[in-house]
Amino acid sequence: MISLWRAAHWGYRALFVAIFVALLFLRLLPLGSGAGRLPGPDLLLCLTLAWVMRRPDYLPVWLIAGVVLVEDLILMRPPGLWTALVVMVSEFIRSRVALTRELNFVVEWLLVSGLMVAMLLAYRLVFAMALLPQLPLGFALVQLVWSVLAYPVVVAASRLVLDLHKPATGETDDYGRRL
Amino acid sequence: MARTKTTGPEEYTRPLRRLLVVLLVAVLLGLFLLWRIDSPRVERFRSALVDAVVPNMEWALVPVTKAAGMAEDFQSYTRIHEQNQELKRELQKMIAWKEAARQLGEQNARLLDLNKVRLDPKLTWVTGQVLADSGSPFRQSVLLNVGARDGLRDGWATMDGLGFVGRISGLGERTSRVILVTDTNSRVPVTVQPSGQRALLSGDNSSMPILEFIEDADEVAPGDRVVTSGDGGVLPAGLLVGQVVRDTDRRLRVVLSADYQRLEFLRVLRSHELDPILDAGGLIAPPLLPSAPDPEVDAEGEAAAPPVAGGGDVGEEGSGDAEDGTVAEGGGG
Repeated sequence: MISLWRAAHWGYRALFVAIFVALLFLRLLPLGSGAGRLPGPDLLLCLTLAWVMRRPDYLPVWLIAGVVLVEDLILMRPPGLWTALVVMVSEFIRSRVALTRELNFVVEWLLVSGLMVAMLLAYRLVFAMALLPQLPLGFALVQLVWSVLAYPVVVAASRLVLDLHKPATGETDDYGRRL
Repeated sequence: MARTKTTGPEEYTRPLRRLLVVLLVAVLLGLFLLWRIDSPRVERFRSALVDAVVPNMEWALVPVTKAAGMAEDFQSYTRIHEQNQELKRELQKMIAWKEAARQLGEQNARLLDLNKVRLDPKLTWVTGQVLADSGSPFRQSVLLNVGARDGLRDGWATMDGLGFVGRISGLGERTSRVILVTDTNSRVPVTVQPSGQRALLSGDNSSMPILEFIEDADEVAPGDRVVTSGDGGVLPAGLLVGQVVRDTDRRLRVVLSADYQRLEFLRVLRSHELDPILDAGGLIAPPLLPSAPDPEVDAEGEAAAPPVAGGGDVGEEGSGDAEDGTVAEGGGG
């Protein structure tokens, strides 16, 4: 039983990396993301937040940092900045795991939306402070709206397909401690 | 919340963990600052990473791209009849054009011969296949499967069969990144034909880049051809870029000749030897003539420099971008 639990941990971590590679692969396909195309949701962000909200023990902070940093580098973003923001937000959620466990989904969705807006603002603020040319605001807002809309879908998919849910009362971890 | 007080190792690991997370965030922000300060070095690292990762995906990227292309082609079969009609009409027009082009070609050859013009033998090209695009709606670039081992250099111009596409910015051993003219960081000095007006083509993430800093906007009419001017010494002159149009808010934009919907094979023009970019603030410039450093001549040269570089706009714009350390100008190295 214990070994199974541990296997589940690593299984979900491997799954996270696999989903990341698949998403990156899809985005890199040279299939007309031509200029002027509106951006889609940032699915990796939705996935990270949804999973940290549910099972913070599945996504250790080093895994999040590593994955997002690689994404930063390959997608030509300034390296490190977005990663730092994602790490900070995931830590914010992680440290409130006792609170988020009690939230119903609508409140959780609001919280996540708020966090996404805050991330976007912080990102643009740092861009302004570093005197970097700003990304077009309209595009960023469209992406934000898409991400907010995609979040419930990602949660539902994680729940139904991957069987990822908040620990029920009385569930125990591999050391027999209550979650 | 009815948890018992934590026991055992957690008592110690929790503050330690918090410290490590703070350290991690600090390191990440430090990396961002490092990139901001010393962009070329970090961009070289990025190129090396992309070089190591993306070609390994090629076995999967290429078939999926082809399959998607086939699916798209298959959809177009449904309206094959009207396409056929359209093609016949176009073909008739083209025959007339072909005849005109042949005559012009002969005439041009005769004139070149009369003038004893020799074309630059360095203007040969390397053809590369598009491996991947930028993957981000905020960056307009593509990744080619040719790189430093094929003799590519930063700054070289890239065309598809029809027109100018962009230039190399970021070079790996096996891959190179082409920053497209639609990217927000792209500034290309151009000439508008037939009036010969100099202007700057600046990308704004839309499919039609804006024509800026035109000397006399009245001389430019929609439908004029736009070619690269070669100012700044980075790009060769005379590459076809596109046609002028006026958009709804009466700004002049350029419809690009290159087929941006389907960038598949790109040719990279071997141009002159460019100075390698070693620092973030420098300009990309042709090698200076090895002249005796006479202070008087130097001062004169500096004073005269801005008007030579296309009314100063080109020079200023270029240096501004380089100082930004953006991917376009300072990147790669």
